[in-house]
Amino acid sequence: MFKLFERKILSVDEISRAQAGIDVRDLNVWLSNKKVLNNISIRIPKNRITALIGQSGCGKTTLLNSFNRMNDLNKKHRCQGEVWIGDRNVYDKKEQTANLRTQVGMVFQTPNPFPMSIYENVCFGLRIQGQKSRRVLDDAVENALKQAALWNEVRDRLFDSALLLSGGQQQRLMIARALALAPEILLLDEPTSALDPLTTLYIEELISELAKHCTIVIVTHNMQQAARVSDYAAFMHQGELIEFSDSDSLFTMPAKQQTEDYITGRYG
Amino acid sequence: MVNQDYFKFKQSMVEAISILCMAILFIFLFAMVVFIGLQGARYFLPSAVHSVTLSYPQSLQEEYYEISYLSAEELAQEYQTRFQKQFRFENANIPQVSVRTEADVVHLKTHLGESILGKVRTLTSPESNTLNLENLDDLLATTELLKSELGEVQSTILQPLHQDIATLLQQDVAKDSPALQEKYQQFSRWQTYSNSIDQQLAAYTIELVDSHGNLRQVPLASMESIIFPNDLGFFDGIYITFSKMMAFLAQTPKQGATSGGVFPAIFGTVLMVLLMTLVVAPFGIIAAIYLHEYAPDNKTTALIRIGISNMAAVPSVVYGVFGLGFFVYTLGGSLDTLLFDDNLPSPTFGTPGLLWASLTMGLLTLPVVIVSAEEGLRRIPQGLREGSYALGATKLETIQKVVLPMASPGLLTGIILAIARAAGEVAPLILVGAVKFAPNLPVDGEFPFLHLERQFMHLGVFIYDGAFHNQLDSQTSSMMFASCMLLLVIVFLLNITAVIVRKRLRDKYERNQK
Amino acid sequence: MRKPLQLDTHISAKYNQELETLKHSVLTMGGVIEQQIVNTLVSIEEKIPNLAERVSLNDTKVDAMEFQVEQECMRIIAKRNPTAGDLRLVMTVAKTSTDLERIGDEVARVARLISSEQMPESEMVRAGIIDIGNRLVHMMRSTLDAFARQDDKAAILAHQQDNEIDKMYKKLLEQTASEIQSNPEDINRWLDVLWSVRAFERIGDRCKNICEYVIYLTHGKNLKNASMKKTIKKLLK
Repeated sequence: MFKLFERKILSVDEISRAQAGIDVRDLNVWLSNKKVLNNISIRIPKNRITALIGQSGCGKTTLLNSFNRMNDLNKKHRCQGEVWIGDRNVYDKKEQTANLRTQVGMVFQTPNPFPMSIYENVCFGLRIQGQKSRRVLDDAVENALKQAALWNEVRDRLFDSALLLSGGQQQRLMIARALALAPEILLLDEPTSALDPLTTLYIEELISELAKHCTIVIVTHNMQQAARVSDYAAFMHQGELIEFSDSDSLFTMPAKQQTEDYITGRYG
Repeated sequence: MVNQDYFKFKQSMVEAISILCMAILFIFLFAMVVFIGLQGARYFLPSAVHSVTLSYPQSLQEEYYEISYLSAEELAQEYQTRFQKQFRFENANIPQVSVRTEADVVHLKTHLGESILGKVRTLTSPESNTLNLENLDDLLATTELLKSELGEVQSTILQPLHQDIATLLQQDVAKDSPALQEKYQQFSRWQTYSNSIDQQLAAYTIELVDSHGNLRQVPLASMESIIFPNDLGFFDGIYITFSKMMAFLAQTPKQGATSGGVFPAIFGTVLMVLLMTLVVAPFGIIAAIYLHEYAPDNKTTALIRIGISNMAAVPSVVYGVFGLGFFVYTLGGSLDTLLFDDNLPSPTFGTPGLLWASLTMGLLTLPVVIVSAEEGLRRIPQGLREGSYALGATKLETIQKVVLPMASPGLLTGIILAIARAAGEVAPLILVGAVKFAPNLPVDGEFPFLHLERQFMHLGVFIYDGAFHNQLDSQTSSMMFASCMLLLVIVFLLNITAVIVRKRLRDKYERNQK
Repeated sequence: MRKPLQLDTHISAKYNQELETLKHSVLTMGGVIEQQIVNTLVSIEEKIPNLAERVSLNDTKVDAMEFQVEQECMRIIAKRNPTAGDLRLVMTVAKTSTDLERIGDEVARVARLISSEQMPESEMVRAGIIDIGNRLVHMMRSTLDAFARQDDKAAILAHQQDNEIDKMYKKLLEQTASEIQSNPEDINRWLDVLWSVRAFERIGDRCKNICEYVIYLTHGKNLKNASMKKTIKKLLK
């Protein structure tokens, strides 16, 4: 058949284990004795952008946090199930959370640069790892800043305080900070909710650029952003995964009535 | 309309009352600072010496010199009012007061801290007896030369000889051995020489007549300063003020803390505070870190927090009693039996001293440090910790690299507040080691250089003691005021440093932070 | 004067690419249909029924293309939320593809008539049909060109070509009527010829529609709008 538009989107049912960046199996999470995630199973494809959408409190941030075990910071936290990244279970008893977090980077809603220079911010993770060689650090900083499309703006003031950067620059710095560790997976928790629309577009473009090397999971309240930026999208409601499919289908022809109601703004 | 007027009235009343309260507060604060400052500053300014003559109706006459910052008329006026009160019921007995200010009165101070008021009668030197005070500088220079020669002989020749003899004697050398004999001979020869210098020095004297007509002869060698307080030029005044300040800061107290300086008290205060900081800073900060970062969020922790706040409210004298009972008697006593067995029954650590004072003050200021350090930790946004964790840092690394540097303003503030508090505290220190007069500084050239068991002087205690025992003497009580002013200045300086340091660090670490 | 819509200046490179591909797809579709018309004309002129048959079969392909373009438009609207010029472009593409599909249908109808039955022998009518067909191909080409370049002037010029086609249509209609009168027994086949001529006229109207869409795309106004008349005069000067 003649095809006008070339599109290589794997449907979610076709994703094999090898193609999955994160493989979540029957995950249940309780925070402060309240069940937040209920039997989640999802296979997030490698080197693609997956968006998690849903109302506030639906558990999408908790799901994101369970990929790098940030939930552990909550003292009243309990969890059941498996999250496989590559060939290891994140919730295995032997797993080192600090080590895991170097491979699963995370960027938060509000930029939270450390009160240090830009340079120190970017190589914070590497220094924690014990990297001392100045050459290695220099290279890593330059690469990370270039990947985050920030190098040209800050190359002359690497040793100025990171707090002097604008909001958008700070958020890109946060991305660079995570990228300096060369993570396999990048988790973004509403990365643009504190930014203006144009800066948001720049960050989104940056994200789609990064997806060439990284598996990206993005939590967002902004449906249009999810539609614009993602390859796959998952809709969650009250701790349940309602629908997970490629975003072309999800945003034009969702399979579930609940999803359609949510994305068309008919939610009761 | 009425309602609105009433409302407006109520508003303005509230405003007026709060302004009034604020104003009263400020007036008191201002008055305190001005009062202490003026009284303290007076100690340093040169004051006149008046001759006061009281003629009683029974034809008795009394004459004496009085140092006063008042002018002659004012002093006479003051006497009048005082007598009018004193002889309220026997008006006839009021003595006549005449106050004169004579230019040739001198104020002489000896090295021992004694001050003599009087008029110069003679200036004696081996060559001449004159009244010519213009020669005084030459004579002083000569005595200075002789004194330095004497000092040199004593320190470079006599002392080593003495030591040599002592070592020889220790080595059980026979009393009549030639070496020892030679040393003895040398020693006596030099001894004679130094005696001769002494005698020469004694020949230089100055003779004063005091108000009662008594003669006072003072060797020039033991004279520290001589001034004509009623005949001072402007620059002389400034010079005297500065030299008095220097003496106040650098000398030890003399004449039962009525003259001299307060150096040992400053030194003792600083040293005690330093030791206390060494104890309280790590303990307080570690405790705050545990409470805020590690402690589970439950009732026990809440109870501990309440306990700490209450600790801050415990009267300081209770800490003093605790320090005496626990540190000095219990801990010090057992330390003595364990380590300094051979000195018993005279105690080494079993008596109030620097170490116990520092520990007691540490305990007293610990709650302050913990509370403000925890406050500092609480100010750090959770997002930063999460950011650090997300980059693979462990809890310890996060605290080390992110939390502590950012919390440093709060931590420092706590420590400086503690220092200011310890510098001004009196009651507990009296119990655990601060004394009115300590013969030795706690630091000297003798091993182990820092003597933690020694008693020490403390500014607060010094003021308390001085104010308590010397109420009547105007000169010494103004020395207390001077000490008070010094203490105020020190505490203010510490607090201002705290504010500046905190602002600096905040600028560095907290810009743009929510 | 406003700058023509630029498709390579979005922050999102992917969006640029999507719009470019979308526009391209319409042109591709137009190209295919143009080829269909040309093939139909060739089969009339050379009397090759097979070719006409292929044209009518090819119409399903055109239909599929229209569906794909519409899907893509929908996807872009849903995912990219296009606004202003981008939105007009997407809407224009959607409507153009509909019109193109209709043109495809008309062509297929003509081709079916030719392939199923022999046309009545009349050199004059045949020449007239080929004439009008060539004219149509030309108009179509300039319409697509105007669309590709978003050239309002070219679009108006293409729009005006329809007047000539209408004239030719009327003339051909009269000729055919006189032919029918001379051979009334072949009336059924002549009716088919009439239908074909009518179809060609319809194609001209569809092209006119597309030109109007292009004007709308560049100016955001209907061609019949009063204020447009001035603009058109200024453009054609």
